[in-house]
Amino acid sequence: MPWSEPKHVLLFFELSFFASSSNRWLPPRNEKRRTAKRSVVSAVVVAVLLFVLPAIAPSAEEKQLSIYGPRVSYSLPVSEQNTQDYVALLEALEPFGKVSAASEGQKWKLRFDDLEAEFRQNAPLAKVAGRKFELPAPFVLESNRGLVPLRSLPAILGLMLRTKTEYHEAGRRLFLGGAATRFTTDVREAGLSVSFSAPVNPLISTEPGKLRMTFTRDPVVANTYILKAENPLVSSITFSENNGRAELVVQGSAPLLAKFAAGGKTIDIVPAPREEQSTPPSAPPAAAPPAAQAPVAVPALPTVQTLAAKPPFIVMLDAGHGGDDRGALLSETLEEKGVTLAFARRLRSELQSRGISAVMSRDADVTIPMEQRAAMADAARVAVFVSLHAASEGRGVRVYTAMINSATRKFGAFVSWDTAQAGYVLTSRALADIVKAELGKHEIANSELPAPLKPLNNVAAAAIAIEVSPSGADLGSVNAVVYQQRIAAAIAEAIVVGRSRVEAER
Amino acid sequence: MTRALTFATALLLAAVVAMGVYLHILRRNERERAQNLPDTRPISAPVAGPASHVILYLAYDGPGTVRAQEATIALPADPAQRGREILHALLGEYVKRPSSHELPAGADVKDVFLVSGNTAVVDTTPAFAEGHRSGIFVETLTVASLVKTLTANLPGVTRVKILVDGKQRETLAGHADLECFYDVVTVEQLLQQLQ
Repeated sequence: MPWSEPKHVLLFFELSFFASSSNRWLPPRNEKRRTAKRSVVSAVVVAVLLFVLPAIAPSAEEKQLSIYGPRVSYSLPVSEQNTQDYVALLEALEPFGKVSAASEGQKWKLRFDDLEAEFRQNAPLAKVAGRKFELPAPFVLESNRGLVPLRSLPAILGLMLRTKTEYHEAGRRLFLGGAATRFTTDVREAGLSVSFSAPVNPLISTEPGKLRMTFTRDPVVANTYILKAENPLVSSITFSENNGRAELVVQGSAPLLAKFAAGGKTIDIVPAPREEQSTPPSAPPAAAPPAAQAPVAVPALPTVQTLAAKPPFIVMLDAGHGGDDRGALLSETLEEKGVTLAFARRLRSELQSRGISAVMSRDADVTIPMEQRAAMADAARVAVFVSLHAASEGRGVRVYTAMINSATRKFGAFVSWDTAQAGYVLTSRALADIVKAELGKHEIANSELPAPLKPLNNVAAAAIAIEVSPSGADLGSVNAVVYQQRIAAAIAEAIVVGRSRVEAER
Repeated sequence: MTRALTFATALLLAAVVAMGVYLHILRRNERERAQNLPDTRPISAPVAGPASHVILYLAYDGPGTVRAQEATIALPADPAQRGREILHALLGEYVKRPSSHELPAGADVKDVFLVSGNTAVVDTTPAFAEGHRSGIFVETLTVASLVKTLTANLPGVTRVKILVDGKQRETLAGHADLECFYDVVTVEQLLQQLQ
């Protein structure tokens, strides 16, 4: 037969178990064979560790810039070139109107509405909106993308958009046209009330003695950075800005809870209700879950007990293709592998901003065999695997699940490689339904169906695939920042919503 | 022999050698070009048999669906050969221009083997996969159309394996799995969702 027999995957934890217990099954006279076998198994374990762990290790948080306009807020990745921070100028202008760019040899010309800007590769001198402009560092042209030093972006956007800009350099937050949401605090005996000048939607998390509100999309600014309070519940309120985000941390003497009011314009911080612990009398005190620190807007953090039983909730983002495999040619200059990588990075950022750990199967233009992608997800025991693809045909987003019959999950030492997804496909479909619903809420055309996509069948976790198609007739829209950001936000939101369902099935 | 004559003779000899080398390169290039062209020759002799009604499940890219369409073709008695002729007719619809679901010239079925009673192995031409458009949806439509057409016309066949030029291939064009066996039930579920 020209095709191979079904293979079996041995997950890492199972391999370790096998390694530690295998010697119990051998007779004592086989001491040498036993030692040799143990050495081989140990070598395999070490090799798997060396090979897999670096690939799935969460990368350091990417630098990003957040731009807040009167009608739109978005984030851009910041890249480092010769120790200077750079951003892509075309992507920065794209949300504000029709923008186009063309390179002619060393020159890079950008057109936005009726204004033009001209830059020269590796030169600091430029012309912006008819004026001579000196960049603090040379202009960089990388794969036809024009990158300008981050410090020059406020002035360039000010000229091109003809608007006032305010840049908070330490926090990498840029405010355009006076966009700002201010807040006031009212410390009362029953708690603290924070009132904003516009509705906000922060990510709220708690830790012992602290309640943290993280604002990524809201242009929240403060006049005072530390406010001390002589209150039995709240001792201080600290405002800080970092990596395109603003944070408001409320320091308290008791567990705190946040409640939204006035249509999202007010957040009331009150003492968290005491939760009765039903610890069995025989259980040692150390095994009891920690005191209730119920976060708002995000699912509860896993307790010590659940961490021991389940691996952490990690989403693996698999940017399709890469390296020698360029995927589909979406237009004359647009390759699928580049679009999927850019989209995966945006989705990672959206997930992280919602408190979800995300790792990428690839974060560069490298070739990774399909089976290795599934093996990485299985070895890391990820909770969700999201395969990302792009197409030039169709409109909007298609959500796929594996084309496989569901089967009862087996908890033995081995999982069939060819049908690893069978035990998880119902959870995958439930998650796909949630993603579809969230895309609908964000007014993005969508559909959902099973597909024989490689390597979904080999993933032993909830697994879905996303195929992003252009939003309209313009094929280039598949790579547009705002479009990708909307889709990424919808998918990230869906994973937050579907997390409890996925956790329940793990 | 004068010096000028020696020089001219050497020059002519050099020209002959250079032309020989050039001719060799031209012949090699032409041979390579001919090898790379899709093989559009018929891969088997026309079969004899009574004209029969069959149902082809044709993929439509526009609406993104697969629809049943009746066709009349000459079918031999042997089930494997019938399967090959039916798929040949199906892929013939996709090779035509215009087509509801375009496949490259030369995309065809080389053979169909029936094994283990319920399993069919379809061997396709290299052009079927090499020139196929890349994309999850477009590849899924091709696979679904092929599997459904075969299983609908060969009762008893419930699993289908697709080979390319006699060998197993990882994917059709970067997405659809060609290493697995396609089960008629899962393909049926997909088709229902496409309606």
